[in-house]
Amino acid sequence: MFAKKSGLLQGTVELLILKTLSWGPMHGYGIASWIESSTDDVLRVEEGSLYPALYRMTRKGWIKAQWRVTENNRRAKYYSLTAEGRRQFRDQTSGWQRFATAVSLAVTSKTAPSWAK
Amino acid sequence: MTDHTPDGSKGHDAHFVPKKPAAEVDSELQFHLEQRIQENIARGMSPDAARRAAIERFGDVDDVRDACMRLLAEDRRAEARRDWLDDLRQDVRFALRSSLRAPLFSALAVATLALGIGANAAVFGTVKSVLLNALPYGNADRLVRIYSPFGTSDRSGALSAGTVSDIRERQHSFERLAAFLPARDGIYMGDQPQIVKSMFIEPGLLRTLGVSPLRGAGFRDDDGNHDTTTVLMISYGAWQRLFGGSGDVVGKTVRLNGIARTIVGITPRQFVPPQDDADFFQPLSIAPFMRDPVSVRGSHNFGFVGLLKPGVTAEAANHELNGIGAEIERLFWKDNRGFRLVGIPLRDAMVGDTRVPLLILLASAVLVLLIMCANLAGALLSRTISRRKEFAVRVALGAGRGRLVRQLLTESVLLSAVGGVIGLLLATVGLRLLRGLALTSLPSYADLRLDTGAVMVTSALALLTGFAFGAGPALSVGRADPQGTLRDESRGTSETRRTRRARGVLVAAQIALCVSLLAAAGLLARGLWTITTAPLGFDTHDLLTFTLQLPNSTYPDAASRVRLHDQIEQAVRALPGVKDVAVASQLPTKVTNSNGLFIETAPWAANAAVPFITTARVSDDYFKTLSIPVLEGRAFSTIDRADAPPVLIINEAMARKFWPKGDAIGARVHVGPPDPKAPWITIVGIVQNTRNDPTRLSPEPMMFFPQRQAPFGDNVIIRTASDPVGLTATVRQAIAAIDPTLPMYNVATLDDVVATTFAPRRLPVVLMTAFGALALLLSSVGIYALFATMAASREREIGVRIALGATRRGIASLILREGGVWMIAGLAVGSVGVLFVGRFLRTQLFGVPELDPIAIGAAMSVLVACAALALLAPIRRATSVDPITVLR
Repeated sequence: MFAKKSGLLQGTVELLILKTLSWGPMHGYGIASWIESSTDDVLRVEEGSLYPALYRMTRKGWIKAQWRVTENNRRAKYYSLTAEGRRQFRDQTSGWQRFATAVSLAVTSKTAPSWAK
Repeated sequence: MTDHTPDGSKGHDAHFVPKKPAAEVDSELQFHLEQRIQENIARGMSPDAARRAAIERFGDVDDVRDACMRLLAEDRRAEARRDWLDDLRQDVRFALRSSLRAPLFSALAVATLALGIGANAAVFGTVKSVLLNALPYGNADRLVRIYSPFGTSDRSGALSAGTVSDIRERQHSFERLAAFLPARDGIYMGDQPQIVKSMFIEPGLLRTLGVSPLRGAGFRDDDGNHDTTTVLMISYGAWQRLFGGSGDVVGKTVRLNGIARTIVGITPRQFVPPQDDADFFQPLSIAPFMRDPVSVRGSHNFGFVGLLKPGVTAEAANHELNGIGAEIERLFWKDNRGFRLVGIPLRDAMVGDTRVPLLILLASAVLVLLIMCANLAGALLSRTISRRKEFAVRVALGAGRGRLVRQLLTESVLLSAVGGVIGLLLATVGLRLLRGLALTSLPSYADLRLDTGAVMVTSALALLTGFAFGAGPALSVGRADPQGTLRDESRGTSETRRTRRARGVLVAAQIALCVSLLAAAGLLARGLWTITTAPLGFDTHDLLTFTLQLPNSTYPDAASRVRLHDQIEQAVRALPGVKDVAVASQLPTKVTNSNGLFIETAPWAANAAVPFITTARVSDDYFKTLSIPVLEGRAFSTIDRADAPPVLIINEAMARKFWPKGDAIGARVHVGPPDPKAPWITIVGIVQNTRNDPTRLSPEPMMFFPQRQAPFGDNVIIRTASDPVGLTATVRQAIAAIDPTLPMYNVATLDDVVATTFAPRRLPVVLMTAFGALALLLSSVGIYALFATMAASREREIGVRIALGATRRGIASLILREGGVWMIAGLAVGSVGVLFVGRFLRTQLFGVPELDPIAIGAAMSVLVACAALALLAPIRRATSVDPITVLR
């Protein structure tokens, strides 16, 4: 789903995880499922590569993990945003938006450069 | 099903946190796969297909698992480190707070530590620079100094040119060998004439030592083979002092002893020659010395150093040299046996006599450190006892014992770290003082500094000390029973039998160490006292001395020198304030020349060693000037001219030794290398003994020759009516009036000259006494603390006793009995220590007996007096206990 084969940048995966967790604590499976469904299954390659990203983010102090019991009485590791994680989410979202707008502006531009005339 | 959280989980599962990274990662990934499989099955797949699809969608499970495990393991390690650091930070904060809560204790502990560690750092810095640091030579470990000893010491004895050449021809142990002559005074003509030290060395000496010039090419091998040497090297010190360190000094021509010579090199900064120190080095060749038939074997002037071949040990070389020595004795010294050759490692030769005093100092510094540790352990113990309740409460509240022990250790290590830092500062100051006090008595290569090594050793010492005095009390807390302590309120603040015994042992140990140290200081001081107050045999007061340097160009022969001596004596004697004046080859107490003695009527047996007798050449009024009585015969006078029959005067010790029947006057002798053609010399007088080596009690035999018959050496000695120093300017003018180009230097009173002889002996005494005082202070504090806490802990009992009618005297003797036992035990063990100390110091005592009752008695009484003082306050406090207050 992510990393190498999807062509997604490391930072993008992290932003998506931050977004998912901004709804509330969730386990890895839940995060993967939510990202896939919210992107209409476009980003659907190798769910496993999500986990190293989660561990790295834990280490950076953006998210923290806690073992809990699910509704079905199964034990799962839930991740939630830390204060630092929330700040990262805000910063990265606005950064991404500026980036996406800029790229989209360029790609959809109707004004040809001077040398193309 | 109680608290459903918004995310659908049922809350924190504290009981399930996998300990190992592998387990955590596995169960997390397994959960993911299982969820995916279930969902796939729910979508209608067969279990098998569902599993395959889930794994495919997940990717390489093993890869992910490895990556996650690696990340998690790193994370855990970082966390453990953080925890440990957190704990440490907390411990340090706690230690700081609790140290500040007992400021007196902390200040005392830090001051004690600073003194103990400072003393040790300073002494260790000295010992390291002298005994441990490498010599400033590239080949330091393979260098051997060769001596031809006479007398008892194997560490002296210069060689003759013939011997140098014989060794060169016969030896197989050395790769290279190089000879040198001792440093001599010379005149360097800068802006004005200056006296400098100049030393002749064979061109190969630097290469033998493994030293290359700092600048310039140095000597060529044939540089010594000219009648007049035209090149020289200068030392780093001379470069800085005489030439301001200027860059273009190599190649420059300078005038040394009136002859122009070119500087061809500068020796490195750290370089010192194997003996003496010098400003200028001139190339030496032994060839001219080999041509003189008398001096070739008769003049023993050369120092000789060899570089061992790889794999040859110094012992093997020494063995070979012994053999060569025996052969030389057979060939050239048939008639006067006793010639020997020895080789000792150059380091030992250069360290010389400083080894024993330094080791004594190191040992006493360590003793002070031990006393300090015992003292601090005692103090910390009582502090721990008074805090026992606090610890009991904390253990009861769930504090781990390990953690408590760790906290206490942190506290003591913190104290010792602070003490160590201050101690290092003290040591730096101390070393600066020591440099002023000791430089003349230490080998010239010693560089008294606290280098990295010494600082590291000191820091380790400080930490170790912290652990040493913190460990006991900390462990006693670890053992304590919190329930008992909390229940029994009264015991919470008092000492148990066990801790009281621990303190008693600590105090006894302090007393024992302190007695040993004080006895050592006392013995050394007694030794120094004995040697400095013993009469030298002449009156050293009111004597002004200085040295003249007679240039060969102006005073080429004996007659011109004798004439100058006469002129100087006349001119100086005429000055107001001058009583007498004399010229001598060397100053009294500083005579280093000696000559072989041959008596006309009693030739030495074929197998006897020729005795070497200390020899001075003196002018007519020498004995009168120094107030040395002539016991028999006469002093020298103007009749002892160069063409008159040769005469000499001997001292009483020599007369006793060689003419026990009292027939010395009129006896005839030969001196120096046997030369049958030389005329016999007649003894015309016997003078009272003088001690030439002030550090030896018994006077040695001495011979005196008239300057008139063979002038040699130009030291002027003036007996003044009052303060000798005040006369310097007048004397200088008088000399300048005779010859303005004559350099006059080494101006000093003879008292000062004698005092410098004792400097090396004074150093250990001064330091030892300082250590003794330090130890005494520490021990007194320790004794005070022992009795104070003992009295305080029994206050209640004392109150009861007083209420029941005990007298104050009875109370005092009760306390004294209990503490006195430990003091007596300490003194008893200390007496054994004193035995060892005496044995250890034997070589430094100058005839004071090893168990000198005065020194040891003084040490014991000083200690007992201080202990009594320390006892006074606690005992007064105990006897003035008010039973009503205490019992209520």
